[in-house]
Amino acid sequence: MRIEISGLTKTYKGKVPALDGLDLLVPTGMFGLLGANGAGKTTLMRILAGLLRPTSGDVRIGGNDVTSRAGRQAVQRVLGYLPQDLGVYPDLSAREFLDYVGLLKGIDDRATRRRRVGELLEVVALTSEADRRLRGYSGGMRRRVGIAQALLADPRLLIVDEPTAGLDPEERIRFRTLLSQLAGERTVLLSTHIVDDIAQTCRELAVLAKGRLVFRGTVEDLTRRADRRVWSVVTAGPAPSGGTIVSALPVEGGLRYRVVAATAPTLDAESLSPNLEDGYLALSQPGPVEDAMRP
Amino acid sequence: MSAAFRYEFLMQVRKRSMWLANGAIVLLLGLLSARSLGDVLDDPAAKATMASTAVLVNLILPVGYGCFLADRLVRDDRLGVAAILDATPASAAGRLAGKYLGSCAAAAVPLAIVYFGFAALYAATAGRPVALGWAAALFAVVILPAVLFVGAFALVVPLLIPAPLFRVLFVGYWFWGNAISPAAMPTLASSLVTPIGSYPLEVFFGVDLAGPEPGALFNFLRPEATAATALLSIGVLLALATLVLSAAPALRARITR
Repeated sequence: MRIEISGLTKTYKGKVPALDGLDLLVPTGMFGLLGANGAGKTTLMRILAGLLRPTSGDVRIGGNDVTSRAGRQAVQRVLGYLPQDLGVYPDLSAREFLDYVGLLKGIDDRATRRRRVGELLEVVALTSEADRRLRGYSGGMRRRVGIAQALLADPRLLIVDEPTAGLDPEERIRFRTLLSQLAGERTVLLSTHIVDDIAQTCRELAVLAKGRLVFRGTVEDLTRRADRRVWSVVTAGPAPSGGTIVSALPVEGGLRYRVVAATAPTLDAESLSPNLEDGYLALSQPGPVEDAMRP
Repeated sequence: MSAAFRYEFLMQVRKRSMWLANGAIVLLLGLLSARSLGDVLDDPAAKATMASTAVLVNLILPVGYGCFLADRLVRDDRLGVAAILDATPASAAGRLAGKYLGSCAAAAVPLAIVYFGFAALYAATAGRPVALGWAAALFAVVILPAVLFVGAFALVVPLLIPAPLFRVLFVGYWFWGNAISPAAMPTLASSLVTPIGSYPLEVFFGVDLAGPEPGALFNFLRPEATAATALLSIGVLLALATLVLSAAPALRARITR
């Protein structure tokens, strides 16, 4: 199920555009959407899920125009959506909440719905807590309920917005694996600002900044953006300047800095192999956007 | 619609605060009318007794459920559930209708318990089982339209103003628009749009509450009390509820888009 976006703009009343003439093609399979907070990712997700109307531009999902009512409904029939600001009804149990969402998603047969809810509770490891009111659930447990509801109707399109926020490391890994397994014939759009989530699950990705597309390509393409730009500097003195510090690790004789910079920050700086995070940070450094867009 | 109805009803009847608030109001009513309770239970006029009880129930209990229902629609956005529900293919109008009817049904449960509980007690003590029939008629014609009217406003108006402000305004409106005599000050009481059901109460159950008041403002809303105007009054209340509900999608869109 392809997503075709062209000239998409969304401007909230009296504010700068959250999306500014976005053109993007998302193929079937797993696709990552990366960007800082406020880059426009959530606005894009909400438009794709049919929750927001764009100010202008075209969005087609599997050939359906989501700016029309009929198109939105057609998409929502095959959609699983996990919003960033996920909420649940505190007065219901997880099983009841999933049953409710299942009904709204058109799983009318009671036996089918109960079976599906049971399977998904198992998948998100909540079977033993399934009949407890959601009021008493932790943030991570609620997130798992959110994941389960997104998968209820066996969606062909899965849109997940910051899905691993609030999950512990084991849950994160389990969920990432689940997403990858689900991809295959489906389109899974994973929006996050956690680079590692994309690195571990996606082959292709796009990067948004200030409502614009600043990169679209493969994980390897983005990683290569930081070729000959990643440096290791050990110093007991002030932090190296002129680049972006990725990490600072205490070592004998000071701190070992990992720096993304166009030129070596110090004379004794050692060049390192880049990873996806370095590539992402390299994008935000001075340089023409056109250059970044080239795969 | 049935899914929203079922789960809205379930969530609401589980609310301990709803039962506590209704319990407190009923206890207060019981204490205030304790002296006359013995006389009332001996009164052989079943229709009049059930009608006057309906007036009391309809005058006091809506204050509780009107305030209680005030956050039922806005809370979906506040809790963050709205995005999940809105992303399903279920029609927004159907969900709204289900939520509304589920909320109203849940609000009607304590009312029914209080009212039919009293009716059963009266029927047993006064030896007048017909009281249960009158109670059923009054519940359907007088109490339910009030629930549907109040429910619509309580769900929708907090999309425009904060729920706490709505609660304050609603309590003021309720006593001004229902309890104050038009002879005392300009009010909507005793008119076609009086939610406690002045017209049906007068026409069908003999409670003197409706009709024009000499010299009062808004007398154009107080035609002579007849069967037609009683039915018209019920129709107007339900039409106003429908009108208010139909504005909800546009009001929500104003907030969320």
